[in-house]
Amino acid sequence: MVEPKIISEGAESHIYSGNLLGMDIIIKYRHKKKYLAKELDALLRSQRTKTEAKLLATARLNGVNVPALLFVRKHALYIERINGKTLNKKPNTNKSLSEILKHAGRYLAQLHNIDIAHGDYTPANIMVDAQNKVWIIDFGLALQTASLEEKALDILLMKRSISRKTFRAFINGYSKHCMKNSAILSRLAEIERRGRYQVRTLLAQQPSDS
Amino acid sequence: MAIESSAHTLGVGIVENGKVLANSSAMYKLSDKGIIPAKVAEYHSKNIGRVIQHALKEAGISLSGIEAIGYTKGPGLGPCLRIAQVAARTFALSRSIPIFPVNHAVAHIEITKQLSKMKNPLALYVSGGNSQIIGLVEEPFRHYHIYGETFDVGVGNMLDSFARAAGLKPAWGSSVARLAEHGHYMAMPYTVKGMDFTFTGLQTHAIKMLEGFEHKDIAFSLQETAFAMLTEATERALLLTESKGMVLCGGVAQSARLRQMLSMMAESHRTKFYVAPNEYNADNGAMIAFVTELMLKSQHPAPIERCTIDQKYRIDKVMITW
Repeated sequence: MVEPKIISEGAESHIYSGNLLGMDIIIKYRHKKKYLAKELDALLRSQRTKTEAKLLATARLNGVNVPALLFVRKHALYIERINGKTLNKKPNTNKSLSEILKHAGRYLAQLHNIDIAHGDYTPANIMVDAQNKVWIIDFGLALQTASLEEKALDILLMKRSISRKTFRAFINGYSKHCMKNSAILSRLAEIERRGRYQVRTLLAQQPSDS
Repeated sequence: MAIESSAHTLGVGIVENGKVLANSSAMYKLSDKGIIPAKVAEYHSKNIGRVIQHALKEAGISLSGIEAIGYTKGPGLGPCLRIAQVAARTFALSRSIPIFPVNHAVAHIEITKQLSKMKNPLALYVSGGNSQIIGLVEEPFRHYHIYGETFDVGVGNMLDSFARAAGLKPAWGSSVARLAEHGHYMAMPYTVKGMDFTFTGLQTHAIKMLEGFEHKDIAFSLQETAFAMLTEATERALLLTESKGMVLCGGVAQSARLRQMLSMMAESHRTKFYVAPNEYNADNGAMIAFVTELMLKSQHPAPIERCTIDQKYRIDKVMITW
């Protein structure tokens, strides 16, 4: 295995790129946080790594286009590397934005059907590769939950990050494939009326270039 | 000059050109049951004359030397806020000087910012009733944006409730810290959602554990978990905003462990970190006076009928004119 190279240092994890038996991979390593009590740090790292691995694998088994999880080693996920660009980085593709987001809507519906909320469903986590295939990445904040609230928040986060026209395409793709469509969408409307907490937080997370 | 009485501390501060001339206070002695707002308000109204006299003496000026008066509009406890408001309004009317209602959280951040000499730091504001991650933004108007905050109680009140249930003596924050000194870690509910957090689940869990577990272990785990949640949420905000500096302010900023965690986190991102001396972290009149002066130099005084109190006066409602 070629020595892995660090490509990003986030709050949650350090991402390395590497090569495993000729396959391009990324390694997502949840690093140690010195400021935490030792036991709490160990607990959070292993719990979060485990949850992410489980949800990533479950999503793929259920037909959502996510990168393959190769294996898990303590606090690190070894994941297939997709050669593409995320939507906020303007990927080079002949597919229209609406088409891409229609796919993204369908994948989110498929996740929600098996009770997974993505937790950070923004253009920064939708990737398009050279073959124009759409991929969903980063399950670091994903949750196994039946909660309408969490699912509606996934949609809301996307809604706040894209234009009205592309959101229409997104929600078309979503509605066609989601089983609890009407309940989730009416919760979404309720959250938007509520206004204060969630919407504010989501606005703050919006990528600046979209 | 400005008067602060949002909770159990009654403070009077006098400031000239950003320099603190006086910072006097009187503190209501807490009973084992916590703050009873009406009683605290009574205490404030009895002592306010004395504290103002003391501040004037400390600054070495007379009443006629006061150019403008400020008071804490909120957030805080209604009956307590009322005392400073009535005093300030009386003062403004009788001496015909301009009056300014001040947001308590803005005052905490501004005084800390001034002392830190940082330009535009990210602030973690933690006190009894508040726990917020705050930064200055220009859009849609210049104001302090709340990146993350507690969905229920403030971290200080959570620690206080636990300390009362455990039969500790006030000041509860430091009692919990002392109890936690030799504790061991036990798993507790850890709830961070993006840059927001909740504390009530943790509080209930810790209080339930009081029967059957060592109190020092519970205190240690409670403190570690709560502060870890705050630090992690702040870390996310720090990476999002790419701030070069970070400050900690508010009553809970007196906690040594929280300071340590935040400074380690800041260091790992090569970010500067600052905490004010404790006299400015506790509620005080000087910080209100400091903001009053900023307001005096950059905006028109408030008409007296607009000088109200607001128990839930949110920081993101305040237009920053300086």
